[in-house]
Amino acid sequence: MRTNVFILAACILAACSGESNAPLVATGVFVTKPLPGTQVSAGYLQLTNNTPATITIDRVTSPDFGSVEMHESLLENGIARMRALQAVSIPANQTIRFERGGKHLMLMQPGEDINVVALQFFSDNTLLLSIVVEPQTAVK
Amino acid sequence: MSSGKKLRFLLLVTAAIAGALLSLRLNAPVAQLSTATVLPAPVALPEFLLLDQHRQPVGREVFHDRWSLLFFGYTNCPDICPITLQVLAAAKQRLADQGLETLPQIVLVSVDPERDTTDIIGRYVDYFGADIIGITGDIEELRKLTGGLGVYFERLPVATDTLNYMVDHSAVVLVINPRGEFHALFSAPHAAENFANDLPLIMARQ
Repeated sequence: MRTNVFILAACILAACSGESNAPLVATGVFVTKPLPGTQVSAGYLQLTNNTPATITIDRVTSPDFGSVEMHESLLENGIARMRALQAVSIPANQTIRFERGGKHLMLMQPGEDINVVALQFFSDNTLLLSIVVEPQTAVK
Repeated sequence: MSSGKKLRFLLLVTAAIAGALLSLRLNAPVAQLSTATVLPAPVALPEFLLLDQHRQPVGREVFHDRWSLLFFGYTNCPDICPITLQVLAAAKQRLADQGLETLPQIVLVSVDPERDTTDIIGRYVDYFGADIIGITGDIEELRKLTGGLGVYFERLPVATDTLNYMVDHSAVVLVINPRGEFHALFSAPHAAENFANDLPLIMARQ
């Protein structure tokens, strides 16, 4: 527990900017623009835990969307399923991927102007990481 | 060389060339399906009445007179469904680049007709290609189509937000022949190269 508190404190002191030496680092961030006719976007990225303790993300928010959830696409016996994840754990000194066909962020109810998307990642109500990304035209 | 010897020599050379050609032919690789499964006997589509993105009624006749790639999905699916439509659009482009004269039409049928209006599915499919057909409509009519094809879909219950729900659905892409029959299928995960390899073979063999 003490380690986790130290990590969180260190993260806050590091301004959680995604610096490569920060406790939690996001790379390869790709957020899609909502496809025509839809009110949803997907977010993909890699999260690297640079600390010696597991980090658990239990909430992601964005001021640019009404709701953000962590989801996982599954293919089971020919059935495509999507499931909400209550939390995602990143083991010590490891990287997990939010990628197409797997874990992803589901961003719902976009605001009117989403030229940039801010994302905040929380663990137990503590902000661990804050990033800003320009949404991209989705798959084409 | 006498004329008889010349003739014998000519025959030998001709036979050697013919033998070599035959050998080449026998050893030539036979094109194989990579991932598609062709049904032992095509299955006629059931009757149904839904709407296309132009609010025009569509039934099984929409599949007549050309090959079709049929996929079931929904627009609030931000991951698997757009990936699949992207793959299908890319596959069609590959087939065009390969010189296939008659290209298949791509058809998306929504398994979420409550949220996917004709306008929404129209704007959605247009993004992936101007000639993609988007179909939605009455859920009982939808069940006639999916039930006849063995396609599964199920809306998941949600406790907090009735508009924020997910729909499990078959990820298969069905190949419908120009007689409007379920002819073959591609199982997920999908890749454009598999369609580009297999579809011309399926279309040529029927």
